[in-house]
Amino acid sequence: MTAMLRAENLIHRVTTNEGPLTLLNDISLQLARGESLAITGASGSGKSTLLGLLAGLDKPTEGRIWLAGEEITSMDEEQRAAVRARCVGFVFQTFQLLPGLTALENVMLPSELRGERNAAGRAEEFLKRVGLEHRLHHYPRQLSGGEQQRVAIARAFCSISGGADSTGSTDGILFADEPTGSLDAGNGEKIIDLLFQLNAESGTTLVLVTHEQRLAQRCQAHLRMAAGEVAVAAGRGDGSLSEVSA
Amino acid sequence: MQSANPLLPLKLLVRDWRGGELALIATALVLAVTCVTAIAHFSDRLTRAMYIQSQTFLAAERVVSSSRPVEQGWMAEAGDRGLEQAETVQFASMLSAGDQFQFASIKAVSDGYPLVGHLEMRPSEEAEARVVQQGPPPGEVWMEPRLLPLLGLSIGDSLQIGESDFTVTGLLDHEPDRSDNLFSMGARVMMHRDDLEATNVVQPGSRVSYRYLFAGDDAALNDYFKWLEPRLTEHQRVIDLREGQPRVASALDRAERFLFLAGSLAVLLASVAVGLAARRYSLRHTSYVAVMKSLGAGRGKVLGIYLGQLAALALIATAAGLLLGSLIQAQAVALMADFFPVDPPPSGWNPLLVGLVTGLACALGFALPPLFRLARTDPMQTLRRDWSNPDRREWLGLVLGPTSMLLLIWWLSGSLPITLALFAGMALLVGGSALVNRLLVRGRLATLGGAWRIALGSLQRRAAFNTLLIAAFGTGLLAMLAMVFARTALIDEWRMQLPDDAPNHFLINIAPYEKDNVQALLDDNGVTATELYPMVRGRLIAINDVPAKERKEQAGALRRELNLSWTENLAPDNRIVAGDWWDGVDTGNGVSVEAELAERLNLKLGDQLKFSIGGLEVESTITSLRTLDWNSMRPNFYMLFAPGSLENFPATYITSFHLPPEEKLFVNDLVRAFPSVTVIELDKIIERIRDTISQVSVAIESVMALMLVAGVLVLIAGVRASIAERLQEAAIIRTLGGRRRLLLQSLVIEFGLLGVAAGLLAAAGAETTLAVLSQRVFELPFTLHPLLWIAGPVAGALLVGTAGTLACRSSVSQPPLKVLRELA
Repeated sequence: MTAMLRAENLIHRVTTNEGPLTLLNDISLQLARGESLAITGASGSGKSTLLGLLAGLDKPTEGRIWLAGEEITSMDEEQRAAVRARCVGFVFQTFQLLPGLTALENVMLPSELRGERNAAGRAEEFLKRVGLEHRLHHYPRQLSGGEQQRVAIARAFCSISGGADSTGSTDGILFADEPTGSLDAGNGEKIIDLLFQLNAESGTTLVLVTHEQRLAQRCQAHLRMAAGEVAVAAGRGDGSLSEVSA
Repeated sequence: MQSANPLLPLKLLVRDWRGGELALIATALVLAVTCVTAIAHFSDRLTRAMYIQSQTFLAAERVVSSSRPVEQGWMAEAGDRGLEQAETVQFASMLSAGDQFQFASIKAVSDGYPLVGHLEMRPSEEAEARVVQQGPPPGEVWMEPRLLPLLGLSIGDSLQIGESDFTVTGLLDHEPDRSDNLFSMGARVMMHRDDLEATNVVQPGSRVSYRYLFAGDDAALNDYFKWLEPRLTEHQRVIDLREGQPRVASALDRAERFLFLAGSLAVLLASVAVGLAARRYSLRHTSYVAVMKSLGAGRGKVLGIYLGQLAALALIATAAGLLLGSLIQAQAVALMADFFPVDPPPSGWNPLLVGLVTGLACALGFALPPLFRLARTDPMQTLRRDWSNPDRREWLGLVLGPTSMLLLIWWLSGSLPITLALFAGMALLVGGSALVNRLLVRGRLATLGGAWRIALGSLQRRAAFNTLLIAAFGTGLLAMLAMVFARTALIDEWRMQLPDDAPNHFLINIAPYEKDNVQALLDDNGVTATELYPMVRGRLIAINDVPAKERKEQAGALRRELNLSWTENLAPDNRIVAGDWWDGVDTGNGVSVEAELAERLNLKLGDQLKFSIGGLEVESTITSLRTLDWNSMRPNFYMLFAPGSLENFPATYITSFHLPPEEKLFVNDLVRAFPSVTVIELDKIIERIRDTISQVSVAIESVMALMLVAGVLVLIAGVRASIAERLQEAAIIRTLGGRRRLLLQSLVIEFGLLGVAAGLLAAAGAETTLAVLSQRVFELPFTLHPLLWIAGPVAGALLVGTAGTLACRSSVSQPPLKVLRELA
């Protein structure tokens, strides 16, 4: 099976006033198209840093990453941005909706950044899929936390759908950073259901960072991190996980 | 990757308006552009009006004035270059009609005269004045109406000038260049140039003024005068438009420069507001950009979006500023219609260009650097949830903003020294602000406790911004204070220079034989006049045996004839600053020189001056230097000779006196008794000067008010930059039990103290400005203005206290829970 996401021997260091600090140490992993991976760990364990590197938001100090078949570690920032525009979607803990734009306009944003036509039609379709067709013209401040996160999910899938084929299937990969971290249990549950449902429908690959064990358990693979290293790497055992290694 | 939707920047611009920073940037840009455009328009129209009037004043675009005929080749050369030309010859001569004789000033004009402007004449005494573009034809003369009764003539009668007879065919009401020689002898008679030779009145040695008039294409004129310049002798000089109305022009020029300088300060303050607002905007948008980048927007695309926004905003604001500036100047010109010498023509494109460049310089110089930093936002910040702007490369902002302002102000003021002085002044002000700020936060005010402690804490945390705020607001306040106090001084000073009983009439061309009778008539009517000064015209041709033409000084006094006089007594407004007045001592050929002219010509006591008077040379030695008050409306002279020095030369006398409006009819008696004497009625001119001062003051005050508004914008921009932080602090204090009133008090104290600091600084600056103005401009002794030191801090505290507290009131009024939740 073709690897949708592959990382080899990732090491990431930063310079601090106290000297160099290793945030990630020798991490390798591989995910096939449509697979899901949960990254867990205590605060400061390096999980968000790993998520950022895998999504091409930053470059590792050492090691290589392939995203949708392209080696993003050899690319400059503009080239990595182009890859993200083509096949990466993001869901953040604090939603990160632009407060001056309506729900519809927030979801249109990725298409507009790509200069695509019919951005509004597509965004409306995704908002319908997350059940917010009646909230199209509401501003983020007029929406509840759960609704805002649903808008963010619609935006993420709209972002990925830029690279969709004629069947609606994409080479997309969705990165979610604590997607339920700002929500109550009830809303969190609904968001998780929605995320996995859309993931299954569109065949996207899913990488998420979470503290919640039950969310991690719904993923096919689980990477638990401690002090920048992989403490536990596990597949679900149903054969669908290609490889998770440390 | 495709480029982003081109309408996206506009959509984000519209949607982000509520954030406040864009509105602030737009307001500051509109203010800067409005201010500069209005001034540029006004100045442009004024210059054009002055230009037209000066042309009219000369009856040409350029004139060569000469005391003897010029070579015919000069005129032929001008003709070859396609220039229009005309000639006038002016001299004094006796007219005769039957047994009546009258001395008059005769002007022989060639075809084509006047090249610019027009004549007004009447074919009969009862007829309406006609505008004509040509003087009388050969064989005819036109004359000033008052000559008819003096000579017992009517229209159609014959008049003799020299050996020729002429027919009087018209009354001359107006000639454009009448004031070219106020000291001409007697009433005017105009004849044709071709008739001059036949009269035989102009003989070698006659006192004759030849004027050669030129008009035409600018380039051809310039080329011709470049060709002519080296051929001119000491008897000839070129009169260009600038000499049309030199004193009014220089006063307006100063007012114009001052307006531009004040306008530049308003632009500078507005730019600081733009910079602060753009910085805040950039910080607030860090999270947006991080999200956009995580969605795949590269740095170029982000920069494109924000540059698109800035360009749209700058263009809209600049267009609004251009429109507003144009409307304001149109209104100002309409209000000041009387003040313009002629109907001011519409301005050209230049003011709009000035406004456009100002808008772009403000926007690009101050808003661009924060946007460049914004485009460098690290997308990893979305995961770290850290919205500080980590890009520390502030150098671009520190270089681009001041550089763009320096270039702009240099361009606007046209003077690098003034620009550098302005920047040095601003640097001093910022330094002063830093010092005042430091004293403020290091004081023991915090020991007062409660609201004082909170306010002082806030001042300490925002020390850098407060320095800027004190400087910005101090500048606005300084300008206002200096203007209010200087205006009072200015108007008072002018009033003192032009007191109610200031001479408002000049009598000139009084012949020596009329002197005693004129004095008697004045005395009989209870009119107190200044001394009757004799006057001869002469040219300074050498200084210490160095010919004037070879002197490097460019003083006009070396190029034109001067009015020379002599007197026993020093006039009350004259003061000897070097050497001694003669006071009865025989100084032989001594001369007293006006001090400023002496300075311009590098003259000192004992220098030998050589004058050419009526073709004869006179040598004299400088025995004293004098200061005098040109605005006293009394006869005054650059050169005053010792009694006896010039008595052998034909002189006329001059005096001035004050005539109240109710006694105005006395002028008629005077003219009837002494028809050859010219009366210059200055009362109307004085009234116009007074109006001019008050109108120019209004214009200057308006610009000062705009400066203060710019200061308020800086304050709002600064407060908004810290509003999130303030909201959080206030929410925490309130959560911990602090009362709303306590917070409000702390805000009032914080901004009130800032206002007091800005006001103190402004008072110091205004006092210095007033001291310089007093000593350098008004030549008054320095006096302290205690009221200034009270008005400054009080006005500062009220303005900054109110504006700052209002701008921050949301931090106190919002429920703390809501604030903490939103900031979480």
